[in-house]
Amino acid sequence: MSEQPTQGVSRRSFLKLAGLVGLAAQAGGLVAAGNNAGKSSESYTGWESFNPGTQFFNRKPFEFEGPAHSPVSAVRRPSHLTDYVFGRVGTFQKFYEKHPEWKLGDPLEDLELPPYLIEFYSKFPERLEWDFKTFSETIPNNMKDRKIYENYYKLADAYSEGFTAHGRSLPRPQAPPEISDFLKPLSEDKQIGDPVPFKSPDLAAEFIKEMAHRYGATLVRITKTNPNWLYSEGWRGCPPDYDFSKMPEHWTYAIVMAVPMEWDVIIGSPQFSTSYDAYDRVSTAATRLVGCIKYLGYPARAQTPMTGYDMIVPPHAVEAGLGEQGRTGFCITAELGGNARMAIVNTNLPLTIDKPIDIGIADFCKSCKLCAESCPSGAISMADSPDGMVIRGYEHWYINNGACYNYWRETMGPMGCRMCVATCPYSRKDNWLHDMARKLDPRDPTGVVRGSLLWTQKNFFDYPKAEEYHRPPVGHFASYRPEPPYMVADKYLDIPITNPNEGG
Amino acid sequence: MFFDGNIFWFLMGIIFILVAAGFKVFAEDKGWVLTWWKWLLAFIWYVIFTMSFYTYGTLHGERETADIRLFLLGMVISLILGVGFWRLMAVNPKNETTKEG
Ligand code: SF4
Ligand code: SF4
Repeated sequence: MSEQPTQGVSRRSFLKLAGLVGLAAQAGGLVAAGNNAGKSSESYTGWESFNPGTQFFNRKPFEFEGPAHSPVSAVRRPSHLTDYVFGRVGTFQKFYEKHPEWKLGDPLEDLELPPYLIEFYSKFPERLEWDFKTFSETIPNNMKDRKIYENYYKLADAYSEGFTAHGRSLPRPQAPPEISDFLKPLSEDKQIGDPVPFKSPDLAAEFIKEMAHRYGATLVRITKTNPNWLYSEGWRGCPPDYDFSKMPEHWTYAIVMAVPMEWDVIIGSPQFSTSYDAYDRVSTAATRLVGCIKYLGYPARAQTPMTGYDMIVPPHAVEAGLGEQGRTGFCITAELGGNARMAIVNTNLPLTIDKPIDIGIADFCKSCKLCAESCPSGAISMADSPDGMVIRGYEHWYINNGACYNYWRETMGPMGCRMCVATCPYSRKDNWLHDMARKLDPRDPTGVVRGSLLWTQKNFFDYPKAEEYHRPPVGHFASYRPEPPYMVADKYLDIPITNPNEGG
Repeated sequence: MFFDGNIFWFLMGIIFILVAAGFKVFAEDKGWVLTWWKWLLAFIWYVIFTMSFYTYGTLHGERETADIRLFLLGMVISLILGVGFWRLMAVNPKNETTKEG
């Protein structure tokens, strides 16, 4: 039976109206769904409840036969005493305090520095300038600034301190690797038992990765330990006359783990963020894994931010395929970008190793430069490519760690900066928007996706100018993004608070 | 959470069908003959339009100030494409007549 024209018109009008209302409902619904995706706890990559689903990027299509690093000239192992910034500035501070009248331009010998440091500073004079500035100018200024502004950052410091306090309680090796790595955890004399054989290295690797995730590692991959990346001296538990020239035989494998810093906190860099949340968590995960491996009768040693390193981590992370080396010198991972604090567990448990990956990060870095533009100390290279940047025999991006450390000592809140982590477009949460970028860019051979992403980043997202992060009057202790609401000291604390952003 | 649950996306699917049905009636009333490529253009426009809202919400949730800027960009693109596509919608293939009523 045909409908009456009036009924037909009314049904059609109804459908059109319903379509229009549906359009509005979809728009509103998507705003709400997007808002949820942006702030849902499930989007906090690495801090979600679905560990081990935190390693969600499928690396298989991007793997290649390593190595990812090949020396271009004679290799020199890194030194704890010079290359490692804390080792170097610690020594400089000690001697500078003995000779506070020393100025740049005076003979280095007047400082009575050890010969190795005189040699290092002669090769890298810009590091000497920065280290001098740190102790002659930056730290004294910072002490004054802290008297005025410290309370504004009180809750950020408190947040960080919780992780620091725990991390410091983790056990450190007290004897050389040949002894301590074969002892039961926390024991001074009880040897680990006989090794329990696995059915295959594949299954052993599978089990170890499952454990690592369950112990708190967001990401985990395995590679071989490279003797070129061991520190040339100063391994934990070793006396000065220990033979550091040979890698202990049982350090065959490097199980590399990564954990991000908290996402709302990291975007409050440099002043409000802390490295210690991730330091503590990744160190805890590695310590747990050592316990597990030793229980199964294999020697193990953890290299962690809270208990110390006998080797450098970034190149191992790259070889293991966690990510690629970025302009910042560290490993930019597929899931966490640069927001990845890392630890290694060395063992001789036979494991199948992973391959390095190429997901286009190295190329992205060539045109991006966002970290370099935001870096308050100018420590990151603005060059178009790392060609010619050779350090210790390998050609890759590296930063001026003297300049970087100098700015660390200028910041307020928990020490450090982390701006290069916060600004990196790869350091983004786990939701549909960023996951789409993660999936599309490496698969786009034309570079259109990369170009669009970069154009959007540079033209639509706010980046305070690098000088704004400095102390007044040059800057105003800016942060990349406002601190998370639970770190607003004014809201919680009944103490006098001076906000540097309001002119002090 | 409702907004990332299956019921929400099921409802969104139903509403999408309703929008498509409404568009079909609207097009018929305008005298447009909906060929496959016109459906495709309409779909592309719809994706860009709705994704602008989704992106806005997501960046807003992340407390990014780029939220409103990218939303406006999406709206401008939707407007420009909308005008262009609207004209194409009116292009009817030869020998096709529109159904009225
Ligand atoms: S931590 Fe800060 S100062 Fe150091 S390289 Fe990164 S952005 Fe620059
Ligand atoms: S901010 Fe850009 S240049 Fe810097 S590490 Fe990240 S992708 Fe590379």
